[in-house]
Amino acid sequence: MTANIFLNGLQYLGYILIFPGFLFCFLCGMLLVGIDRKLVARMQKRVGPPILQPFYDFFKLCGKETIVPAAAERTTFLVAPIVGLAALVVIQLFIPIHGFTAFSGMADIVVILYLLLIPALAAILGAAASGSPYAGIGLSREMVTIIACELPLVLVLLAVAKTVGNALGTGLCFSMSEIAEYQLQNGSLITKLSMIPAAIAFAMVIPGETGSHPFDTAEAETEICEGMHAEYSGAPLAVFKLSHAVKVLTLTSLFVALFFGGIGTGIIAFDGVIVFALCIVATALFISFVHAVTARLKIEQVFKYYWTVVSGLALVSLVLAWYGM
Amino acid sequence: MFKKLIAESAAKSPWLFHINSGSCNGCDIELVAVLTPRYDVERLGFKLAGSPRQADIVVVTGPVTRQSLDRVLSAISQVPEPRCIVTMGSCPQSGNVFKGSYSVCAPLSKYVHVDVDIAGCAPKPEAIMDGLVKATEILKQKRGQM
Repeated sequence: MTANIFLNGLQYLGYILIFPGFLFCFLCGMLLVGIDRKLVARMQKRVGPPILQPFYDFFKLCGKETIVPAAAERTTFLVAPIVGLAALVVIQLFIPIHGFTAFSGMADIVVILYLLLIPALAAILGAAASGSPYAGIGLSREMVTIIACELPLVLVLLAVAKTVGNALGTGLCFSMSEIAEYQLQNGSLITKLSMIPAAIAFAMVIPGETGSHPFDTAEAETEICEGMHAEYSGAPLAVFKLSHAVKVLTLTSLFVALFFGGIGTGIIAFDGVIVFALCIVATALFISFVHAVTARLKIEQVFKYYWTVVSGLALVSLVLAWYGM
Repeated sequence: MFKKLIAESAAKSPWLFHINSGSCNGCDIELVAVLTPRYDVERLGFKLAGSPRQADIVVVTGPVTRQSLDRVLSAISQVPEPRCIVTMGSCPQSGNVFKGSYSVCAPLSKYVHVDVDIAGCAPKPEAIMDGLVKATEILKQKRGQM
């Protein structure tokens, strides 16, 4: 009995620390960002940094001096980045890879929705604790960006929940593992006509949530000195850069799990590779390509865009799903 | 092993912070030219940082006017160690044509330790890249000594 509990504990520890938890997030997230930077460079006819560049950046920042400004609230300033990273790693445990989920529950979509907010809130807390006026402007913009992105995201998740719930006869289905199971049997959700607007809306939410072009108003480095990260240096900044990388992985793999589930072999190692390949494609299309062809928007334009175009698309999908199409 | 990894990475990911201390804008344009597709210094890991707290290399252009001296020094003091200070163009080295003026404090090396001087008015992009690569080697050495 005790041996069993011990083994179970060990298994969960493996999930959290290695796959699909911390180590997996670290390696794959950093690789995704490296590929993104290389692709953007190639699209702009540059040679671009090596694909391993984010790893070099991370280790270099770990070796730099960490400065805490005199005006800063020391504990909050240093703890905020770690809280954000932890929340993102937890999300990764809930996202199914083919049929496999590390943690599954009744309503894990709602959990994911709340956990996705935490990194942004942690960054806001850290920025507010740093006492810099640039960070102040950055955090107010970040708040607007979160509110802008949240409405379409909720609508998309509701549309998916309703479609799967209708098919299973349970009304609304908020369980990621049931959505994955449904897609295993009936093919990917993207093949349903009513889900295509939702998929496009989610794809448009990805650059906003990760804070990449053209929605990077909160971190505008040429304008407000990196905004929220203006006072961060050394290891805490490295953790922020890592959180950004993990966020890219989380959002793309959530996209793959919601709309391109059911593609795989049933062997966990192969499925991991397939999901990661799909994540690379999603990053290339929705982050790198958009980055290469757009300039930065103003904050009110970001808000307007998300609450009209993207929310409209998601709403179309939700209405179609509600009438069972 | 970890220490070696960090020292290797320090040379491969130098982030630049650019300070204009009253420059005529010639050098500033040349520095931006180095980041464009033709020269693309990002392939060596260089990136323009927005805030001095995130930088490794400080690039100073201009003859350090009396108005800007305090600001330049306070910006440099905000850059975390190990850091490298590069002066670009002849102005911060010697004062160039402004030498002797009452409003100019050049050379910068009177006030802080300067690691690399890139001469020229304005220097060619190739010269700038050469100077920046030398600065990364100094960064790696400084990291090794920490």
